[in-house]
Amino acid sequence: MASISIRNLTKRYGNFTVIPDLNLEIADHEFVVFVGPSGCGKSTLLRIIAGLEPISSGDLYIGDKRVNGVQAARRDIAMVFQDYALYPHMRVYDNMSFALELRGTPKAEIDARVKRAAALLHIEPYLDRKPKELSGGQRQRVAMGRAIVRNPKAFLFDEPLSNLDAKLRGQVRAEIKALSQELKTTMVFVTHDQIEAMTMADRIVVLQSGTIQQYDTPETVYERPANQFVAGFIGSPAMNFFPVEWHEERAVLSQGGTVVPLDGETTGRLSKAGNAVLGIRPEHFAVATDAADGIAINVKLVEPLGSDTLIHFDLASASAIARVDPALRPKVGDRINLRPQPGKTHLFDSASGQVLR
Amino acid sequence: MNDAANTDRWIRWLNTLQLVLAGVVIMAPTVWMVLSSFKPSFEVTAYPPTMIFSPTLENYVALTKTTPFLSYALNSLIVTVGSTALGLLFGIPAAFAVSWTRISWPAILTLAARMAPGTLFLLPWYVMFRQIGMIGSYTALILSHAVITLPIVIWVLLPSFDGIPRSVFEAAQVDGCSVTRILWRIALPLVASGVAVSAILAFVFSWNYFLFALVLSNGDTKTLIAAAFNFIGEGSTQWGALMAAATLIALPPLVLAALVQRWLVSGLTLGAVKG
Ligand SMILES: Nc1ncnc2c1ncn2[C@@H]1O[C@H](COP(=O)(O)OP(=O)(O)OP(=O)(O)O)[C@@H](O)[C@H]1O
Ligand SMILES: [Mg+2]
Repeated sequence: MASISIRNLTKRYGNFTVIPDLNLEIADHEFVVFVGPSGCGKSTLLRIIAGLEPISSGDLYIGDKRVNGVQAARRDIAMVFQDYALYPHMRVYDNMSFALELRGTPKAEIDARVKRAAALLHIEPYLDRKPKELSGGQRQRVAMGRAIVRNPKAFLFDEPLSNLDAKLRGQVRAEIKALSQELKTTMVFVTHDQIEAMTMADRIVVLQSGTIQQYDTPETVYERPANQFVAGFIGSPAMNFFPVEWHEERAVLSQGGTVVPLDGETTGRLSKAGNAVLGIRPEHFAVATDAADGIAINVKLVEPLGSDTLIHFDLASASAIARVDPALRPKVGDRINLRPQPGKTHLFDSASGQVLR
Repeated sequence: MNDAANTDRWIRWLNTLQLVLAGVVIMAPTVWMVLSSFKPSFEVTAYPPTMIFSPTLENYVALTKTTPFLSYALNSLIVTVGSTALGLLFGIPAAFAVSWTRISWPAILTLAARMAPGTLFLLPWYVMFRQIGMIGSYTALILSHAVITLPIVIWVLLPSFDGIPRSVFEAAQVDGCSVTRILWRIALPLVASGVAVSAILAFVFSWNYFLFALVLSNGDTKTLIAAAFNFIGEGSTQWGALMAAATLIALPPLVLAALVQRWLVSGLTLGAVKG
């Protein structure tokens, strides 16, 4: 168990800089999720922590020890790989006991630990099988088991759920979270699935092009995104964005000039900035009964999800989505008045994308 | 539909023809050699070859009586096993290192050495080994034959090692394995059939190679194949005994190949390891 501290880290492949200058503090026992689009450097960062990838410059501390030049084998970290990377020639049991055996753990203790991990992950019936005799989900559990029999300083996961079907994924997601609460070990989990990020993390690192866009709790990242990238990346369906202006003492859409009813605080910020990008999540539209209260839209497409209904519409020559009460039973072609819920709107700088506070 | 069936039949017929032709080309001399070894000596060179004869072991008896055949065979075995072991000892770690580091020039170099004609090495070796008084020693022969075995081991194993997913090695590193341990505990078991194939190929090539032994051996350490070479043109060539010798020399490689033919195919097609 240990904290992880990354200071002024850069990583280059030849002339290509993957990570320009990164600082990150992960506390002891913390469950941190790296999330970001494909190619943003999540795996690279994880592999640097594991010691599988050398650092170009900067420092990496695990606990209070600087580990820059320390081999992976000596970092005492457990990692679950995206393709599981089980040892094909070893039985499940031996896959799990291998690391302990290398450390000279007594046979009886190895056996106890393997059995305990197998019970936790429901893989006891498969201990004598070879990896190729297992399903994808079972292999995934073995890969997890191989990590948790050890008592490492930290667990690293690289998209371990991406090969599972939706149902199993949800199940294993819950298991990992329960496990993290039981083991109380530092965990770093890489994913590009923002639902995984939201549900499991103590804190989320949102990465783009090797730079941290925001590092905060899931609630904060969702409720108060630091910039337009984070706002658009976290949340599903994604946040709607409309360019807006302060025009004749009112907030209007830059395209078409429709008046947008905003709360007083947001209005104040816009009046200072002059223009901005307005962000509204689909779930933060309210349906207004009075036409003067909202923005009139035409329903273009309806997606009933059961618990909610999504309506697609065009506004200011962009497509947008609102999440509404299914009791409303909207139909294609209906004219509906939508109003942003007070206190739930975001304004971003038109040029930099940074949130306006 | 009939057309397709016809084409199919034609292709099958051509395939058979091809196999038969290949079989004849490869098998005919072998069969001739084996049959001749059992003929009375006056019939061996008869033309046209006699097809019906009363088989005799006289050539084999003559071979063991007139030549130290068994001690030559032992020499061959010592040199071949020694050089194969040497080839494996250095070839396995070398192939793994090349695969691990992806630095390939050492492998290319060994291949180039293997492709160069043996005569290129022979003269310097002869001078060198004579200066240190090792001409005629098993050590000199085993060392020289390692030039045959080492590249075979490296080049048969390299693709096998390359076929192991990188992440399996990385998982082992994270589990606490040093690189040497990864080779012995993870990589080697996964390429076991490749090792067997490389060992057999190295054995066969080393067994069959005669040039180095011709020059670097002496009367006591001469290998079978080099000795057999001497049978020809020693006054009146004893064709019958020569056929018997050739048959016996060809036996170990053939038996080995037959024993492991299934492995040989899968090892040569280099099935990647699927986790
Ligand atoms: N060995 C390498 N040599 C050169 N470039 C590399 C190498 N490994 C990764 N990269 C580059 O580094 C960048 C980050 O890669 P990385 O694998 O960390 O992305 P990621 O965030 O994990 O993406 P994904 O979600 O697709 O797994 C990518 O642009 C990739 O092309
Ligand atoms: Mg990745």
